[in-house]
Formats: sequence, C-alpha cells, structure tokens
Amino acid sequence: MTEILCFNDFSYAYQDADRQVLCGVKLDIHMGECHCLGGATGSGKTSLALAAKGLLTDGHIFGTIDRCETSPGSGSGMGIVLQNPETQLLTGSVGSEVAFGLENLGCDPLSMTGMIRTALQWVGLEKPLDFDTAKLSMGEKYRLLLACQLAMNPRLLILDEPTAQLDPEGLTKLCRIVVELKKNRVALLLCENEPGPLREAVDHHWHLDADGKLHPGPAPDVVRSQALPSVSRSDTLPGISETALRVSDLAVTDMAGRTIWSDVSFFLPRSRRAVIYGLNGSGKTTLIRCLLGFEKPAGGEVRIFDKDPNPSTLRGRVGCLFQNPQRQLFETTVFEEVAFPIKRRRKGDRELTSRVYETLGLCRIDDLADRSPHTLSYGQKHLVALASVIAMEPTLMILDDPFAGLDPKLAAQVLELLTSINKEKGTTLLLTSHAPGSMGDWADFTYTLAGGKLGCN
Amino acid sequence: MIFVCSLVLSIAAFGTRSPTTLGLLSAADALLLLIARPGITFLKRAAKTILWQAGIISGLYWLRFGSYEGIVPGLIISWQLALAFLPGMVFVKIVPGDRIVRMLSDILPYRIAFIIATCLNFLPLLLAEIKSIHEGQVLRGAKILPKDLLNPLNWQDVIYCLVVPVMIQTMNLSAQIALAAKARDFGIAGKRTSWPGENKEQKNKGTTR
Repeated sequence: MTEILCFNDFSYAYQDADRQVLCGVKLDIHMGECHCLGGATGSGKTSLALAAKGLLTDGHIFGTIDRCETSPGSGSGMGIVLQNPETQLLTGSVGSEVAFGLENLGCDPLSMTGMIRTALQWVGLEKPLDFDTAKLSMGEKYRLLLACQLAMNPRLLILDEPTAQLDPEGLTKLCRIVVELKKNRVALLLCENEPGPLREAVDHHWHLDADGKLHPGPAPDVVRSQALPSVSRSDTLPGISETALRVSDLAVTDMAGRTIWSDVSFFLPRSRRAVIYGLNGSGKTTLIRCLLGFEKPAGGEVRIFDKDPNPSTLRGRVGCLFQNPQRQLFETTVFEEVAFPIKRRRKGDRELTSRVYETLGLCRIDDLADRSPHTLSYGQKHLVALASVIAMEPTLMILDDPFAGLDPKLAAQVLELLTSINKEKGTTLLLTSHAPGSMGDWADFTYTLAGGKLGCN
Repeated sequence: MIFVCSLVLSIAAFGTRSPTTLGLLSAADALLLLIARPGITFLKRAAKTILWQAGIISGLYWLRFGSYEGIVPGLIISWQLALAFLPGMVFVKIVPGDRIVRMLSDILPYRIAFIIATCLNFLPLLLAEIKSIHEGQVLRGAKILPKDLLNPLNWQDVIYCLVVPVMIQTMNLSAQIALAAKARDFGIAGKRTSWPGENKEQKNKGTTR
C-alpha cells in the first residue's frame, strides 16, 4: 500500500521547554488505514497531529517526517480538524467556510460551488450556502469543518479528540463518514482516548506515554464508565432534609423570542448529587446561568437556598466550574490561584496557608504550588481551577461538563475528588454532561434535557 | 448601496455640530432604520449603548466645565457620536459577515481582508468568553459586579481578575485562529482565488487575485 506519512525517529521540544514532548516517534501511515492515538491529557497527542500536518515549526526538531508528494494545486494533502470547532470557523456562512480552503489552494472560482456542495453532501450537512455558521449546533459545526477538509481532497485526515465535543448522535454520523473515507482510500489519524463507535473503523491503536514515546496498542487507562462502579450514590448520607435548589416551570427563549426549553422543573436536596444530561446545544449552560442568576428566564422560578438567585449573595456559597475553566486562571502561582477565593472570605493567614495546602493535597497537585498556572498542562490547569473552587468550601457546586477534554484517568481522578467532598463535607453537587449515561449510577438524581424539556430518569 | 449610505451618514455626522444639521441627520438615520429594519433587539441594544455613552460623555463634560457650560456641548458631542456610529452598526447588523469580507477582499490585499473579517467574526466569541470569565470570577469572590464597582477600591479587581485572564484568553484565541487558518493551507498558494458566492458565480463573475 502507498505510504502517506512516515515519522522517522521524530522528536520535538517546544521552545523554552525543559523536556521533549515527542520522543523518537516512529509511525508509518498508508492509504485507507485508520490509526487511533491515545494517551493521557497533555501527553502530546495534539503536538503529534500538528507535526503530521506540518504545523510545528517553532521549537527544537530532531528526526524527519516524510509526506507523500502531492500534485501542484492540491495543497499539503493533509487535512486536520482540531478540538474546538468554535475557534476554527473563520467566516460567517457555510458556503464561505468550505470555500476558504479552496481559495487558499487557488481553485477555479467558477467550479467552487459544485465542490462545496459535494463536500457538504458527503458529511450530510445540507444547509443553504448562505446559512449562518453561528446557528449550527456543535455537531453540525464539526461536520462543517470536516466538509472544509474533504473539499480540499486530503490523502490523510487528522481528527483531534473528535468525541470531546460530539454527542452520541454526532459520533454515529462521524463514524459513517470515517468508514466512507476509508473506502475512498483516505487515511485517518484519530487522536482519541475513547473512540467509542469509531473503534470499529480503527486498524491500528497507539498510545503516547508520559515521556512522549509512542507504543503500539491502545492506551492502558481504564475508561471512565468502567471506573464508575467504585463510586456509588450518596446513600450513606442523612435523609433528604433541606432543599438546596428548586426550579419550577422554568422557560428560556433566545434573542429572537424562540423557546430553547420550557416547563423545566426539578429539585436538589442538600448534600446530594444530580446530573443533567443533554446533547450539545440543548441549553445546559443556559440553564446553569439561570440557576446562578446570570440570565433572566422568560418564565418560571428558581429558588437557591430558598432565595431568588443573586450572584452577589451566592459568592462563596456556590462554586461553579464553567466549561474550559482554565481560562479563569490569572495569578502568578498555583498557591495564589487557590488562595484567592479564601482571601476573599477574609480568612487569617495561618488558616489560609493550611487550607490552600489541604486543597492542593486533596487534588493531588501540592507539588505544583510554586508553579505558574499558565505553564501547566491542560489537565493540570483543570485541576487547579477545580481546586480554586473547592477551596471556598461551597455548599453547592455546579460543574458544566467537567470531564470534556479530559482523559479517562484524569476524569476518574476528578470524579473521585468530587465524590469525596460530597461525602466528607456534604457539598451538594450538580453536574451536566453531553454524554448520556456516562455517569452511571453515581448521581442520586438524573435528568435529561432534550427536545426543549427536562425529563427525570 | 447600504454601505455608501452608511458611510456618507457617518462622515456627515463627524463634519457638523449645528443642532439643525444634526437633526436632519437624525431624520436620515431614522429613515435608514426604517428601510434596513434591523429588529427590535438591535434597537434596544443600540438605544442602551447610546444612552450609556451620552451619560458618560455629558458627565465628563459636566465635571470638567460645570453644569451650565458643560452639559449642552457634552450632549451635542454624544449626539454626534451616536449619529456617527449608528449607520455602521446597522450596516454590520444587516449585511452578512461573509459579504462584507468579499467586498473587502475586492479592494484590499487578502491577508488584510482576512484579518479584518476574522476580527468581525470573532468579536461575538470574545464577548462570550469575557462574559463567562466574568461570571466565573464573580462566584470565586471577585468584586466586579456593576454595584461592586461603585466602590473605587474594587476597581483593581477588574484589572486583576478580568482584564488579565481576558488578555491571556485573547492571545490563546488569536493563536488558535491562526492555527485553524494554517490547517486549511492559508498562505500556501502563490495566487489565492476568491469564491464569488453562489449567485454571482452563475453570472461568471469569478475573480482571480
């Protein structure tokens, strides 16, 4: 079979980094093959994907990467879709988005519309070409990005963490596309720990270890759903007493006045755990913002600790971890980052230091206390952000899709941490997740937000 | 057409200070709003923005020149500014972003057109990021709610807890956008072509630049 890409003992270190992120990587990819690359969060999967596409230019490179020759006007022949669709959509409409790559290749403008339509049909996204990309769901955005790459006729398509942003419905569609691509002799490289339904299409599994070395075989980490049975419901806690959160007939509309969801009612007693499942775009984040008083609902009522939600009075009592919590980091050291919310509650110096180290120990990041949070890996930043919320000792913690983008091992660690604070400190927990059933039996109350309504499981 | 009208109205607003001319320009802007029909939500937001800027500018003039000498010139300046920016806001609201880009790429080098278009496209994303960071920091204890900012002692929290993470996130976003453009071979070909759009293509108006 024709070789598309070959890593020859390839090593890479970012500028100013004290270690190589990729070390002596040897990998051959042939036409029509599907390779799946696993590894812990921050192990270098994205770096390897960028190297394959030729996007790692700064830094220290050792070894070589051989790519198949492409005909003039067909670009690099390597397509890549990165993790976050939001930052990859560069224009305002579906047609322009797909055209962007074709324009870069210098394609004939008069033949572009046909190519755009073919690519969109391939991914099953049949929208008008002037359709606003902002109105697409996350799954549709991902498929649009796939169409953008397919229009450029790549020989190798690299997908970085495709399951992190896709709900099961989106994943099933992606799986069909991957099988079709393989039939058309397109090679694929999936950087993914939990390929789910994509697993059937994979020919070769690899995993990157913590030293940046590539090994054959799937990543040895257990999947989160397998780790769950050890953490069961909070049955040992005292019976239901006070209600932390009560929501009655809540409704939210968008800016155009269309209903996003309505008749949402649920309650959460103190010291209990609840999970709200919902596909991407179902309105989970909007619901959280309503619960916290940051968004005014179109109708209904929220009572939090038996009062109307008001951000100024919830400070310190309610901890919230929004999606991508790393972006709220601003201090110069991890210690200061975790100390910030405690200082705001005016604790004495002695108590401050002990509380920070206790929280860091609980999150198993006490060795990072003097490091700058901005130089840490994705997973470490996630833990620091979580520690800074836990440090406040909130009565209620709300976490918006806290496992998105985390590898199974780290996700299991976060889950264990949340379980322990629930059991030991009686913190009430409310989580959302885009993957239905992914939390197993962990929660006392499970709800599903779908079709504009909230159902109780 | 709408572009030319907006441009003329904006330039005219900068060129005059007489209440009569500003009144005439206001009537012209009202006509533009009637024709363009940007929607009630836009009108509410525009009104809110204009009222805020009028309040701030008049307030600053009042502080600097006193109530009698300051308030009238302050109101005129804020009226002038509103008339200068309103047509542009209407234009950006009703003309799709990609059509603006295509217009720009006809008159500017494509790299510059791309930068301007990207800034326009990513502004809503950046605003959403700022909102999310703001909300997260409020719950962590930062005193950055509007009523907190009535106390000047809390102003440092805006810099410390909001501006710093927003700056870092803006740099991250810029890097990710640049990477996304390179991932689609931006800058790889010597000559970049321009998709004329679905309708124009049928009229054989494709261009190669």
